[in-house]
Amino acid sequence: MRILPKVAASVAVCALLVTAGSAADVVKIGVQAPITGKYANEGQSIDNGVRLVIEQLNANGGLLGKKVEVVSCDDEGVAQKAAICARKLVNEGVLAVIGSYTSGATEAAQTTYYRNKTLQTSDGTSDSLTKHKYWTFFRNSFQNSAQADFTAKYLVNEKGYKKIVVISDYSSYAVGLANSAVKAIKAEGGNVIYQGKIKSGTQNFTAVLTKIKSMKPDAIYFSGYYTDGGLLRAQQIQLGIKADFIGGDSNDNPDFIKLAGKSAEGTLLVNFPTPDFLPYDAAKVFMKDYTAKYGKAPSSVWALMNVDGLNAILHAAKETNSLDTKKISDYLHTLRDFPGITGPISFREDGERINTKFNVYEIQANGKYKIINK
Amino acid sequence: MDIFLQQIVNGLTVGSLYALVALGYTMVYGVMKLINFAHGDLVALSAFAGLTIYTSMFADGGTSMVAVITVFMFTAAIIAVVGVLLERLAYRPLRTAPRLSAVVSALGAGLVIQNAIMLIWGPNMKIFPSDLFPSTVYDINGVVVTFTQLMILLFSSVLMIALYLFINKTKMGTAIRAVAIDQDAAKLMGINVNRIIMIIFIIGSALGAVAGLFIGIYYRGITFDMGWMYGLSAFVAAIIGGIGNIPGAMFGGLMLGLFNALISGYISSAWAETFTFMLLIVVLIFRPTGILGEKVAEKV
Repeated sequence: MRILPKVAASVAVCALLVTAGSAADVVKIGVQAPITGKYANEGQSIDNGVRLVIEQLNANGGLLGKKVEVVSCDDEGVAQKAAICARKLVNEGVLAVIGSYTSGATEAAQTTYYRNKTLQTSDGTSDSLTKHKYWTFFRNSFQNSAQADFTAKYLVNEKGYKKIVVISDYSSYAVGLANSAVKAIKAEGGNVIYQGKIKSGTQNFTAVLTKIKSMKPDAIYFSGYYTDGGLLRAQQIQLGIKADFIGGDSNDNPDFIKLAGKSAEGTLLVNFPTPDFLPYDAAKVFMKDYTAKYGKAPSSVWALMNVDGLNAILHAAKETNSLDTKKISDYLHTLRDFPGITGPISFREDGERINTKFNVYEIQANGKYKIINK
Repeated sequence: MDIFLQQIVNGLTVGSLYALVALGYTMVYGVMKLINFAHGDLVALSAFAGLTIYTSMFADGGTSMVAVITVFMFTAAIIAVVGVLLERLAYRPLRTAPRLSAVVSALGAGLVIQNAIMLIWGPNMKIFPSDLFPSTVYDINGVVVTFTQLMILLFSSVLMIALYLFINKTKMGTAIRAVAIDQDAAKLMGINVNRIIMIIFIIGSALGAVAGLFIGIYYRGITFDMGWMYGLSAFVAAIIGGIGNIPGAMFGGLMLGLFNALISGYISSAWAETFTFMLLIVVLIFRPTGILGEKVAEKV
């Protein structure tokens, strides 16, 4: 039986070759998103969007002749889980990670990806995401301060509000946006009479709102997320506070309208153009394919931004004919006006997406959006 | 002044919800010396069950008083049955075991219910329709009270007074108090202890169900893990009032609601929880049996 070790050895070698061979033929793309939890419908849209793009890519021969596989990790929008996801996706050997949805979860994973030379593209809008200037990180949305500047100009110059209240929750994203907004409003010569905070998920915001009522503001700006924003708006109307309600980008979600009920009417939302309003052909095609595959539209523009980040990375890999993340990154930094679903994509040296554009929407009685800014 | 009164109205609304939930904790504790940690999750379950009953029976939008009453009755009945099952499966087998085992069993049962909600209804937030109650708003000299708030205040006071009378004025109530004082002696007097415990669970769970539905109707958004948050607040309310004591639970709930509203209104909502637990510690230091704990010798 001396032949046995040889057989075993050759079997082992074959096995090694097979696994090595298959590993080399597959490129993995990671998704880190809140697939369950509070922001589940956003996380699921991101995951669905990425899977749709990759499915279409594979049908057309894959990336550089290789099949692409999607590996998803659910971070529940929680920083601790995000750090675990980062480890897991790095160990899987992914080329790039799409996500996460929240800035907090993105920031918690960022350094791990940077150290392991894994590309990351996220819709997180915290200014702090690009402050490290990691060459692996690409923001596919916009910076909070860009949104804050736009909002401040709109509130002060176009709407002419005299007494503005700014509310946020305690998340790094919402606090960052609120602080930038307050600064920008003051820079425009506007008057912020109160800056308050609510605790996300506590549902009862009447205490803070009652306090605000006594100040008789003409506008309330909320920089947090839709799960709180919808309730905040409903309770504002309930308490008879006759101020306009302006929601930051994260209030752009169908659940905002469901939570606010009839009170949703007249709410103003500041965001990137929503999927239905995107004028680009790529957007129309993507929305059609997405709806055909999943039976419903993506919940908001965030999924599309992440898909844009993914498309830019895939484009860079094809152009450089390489799966070397450093080469892809160098190419992305020089990329100018790549036609994305959410508009032309260009990246600055620190991974910031530049030249983004905002809209103000008014929610109509039937729950539809109407663009009202010039 | 009207701002202060508004905070009081807000606080009383939330406080009555806490009180309704706290009654469930306190009644079970009074009779069984068991902290029923699964109670908060029953409250969450009732909100989900109520929403499903409403959407399946009155989906065409025919909101009427009949629809709302039906939803409340059905949900309360279902949750009462779940409460009885909970006692049968999770607590009765451990009745003679050390008390710690029963508490662990309660925590486990809570997790089972919470995860069952997640598996049945999914992890996403579910949203109550906004037209269950008319959206009438009463403005009394600048103090705003909504129809829903009025209903919450009215119903919870009626239920609490009814419960108080039931415990103190009826034969069954006397039996419940007897079991609370001494189970063995009550048994010798011909009281069916198992039946009394079942009744306690039926009443406690049904009150929790009413609170769960009101939470859904008032706040609209419900999540599978919300039971923990309301359960913990109500538990604190029960301890502050004196656990095991029925008027104590009512008082503790209302007081906690008011305290929270005033702290969030005049200091900061971020500090509300910190102050709540500081209040708990202070009460426990100076009155270890709760604010109303000592006045009543027998605990029900």
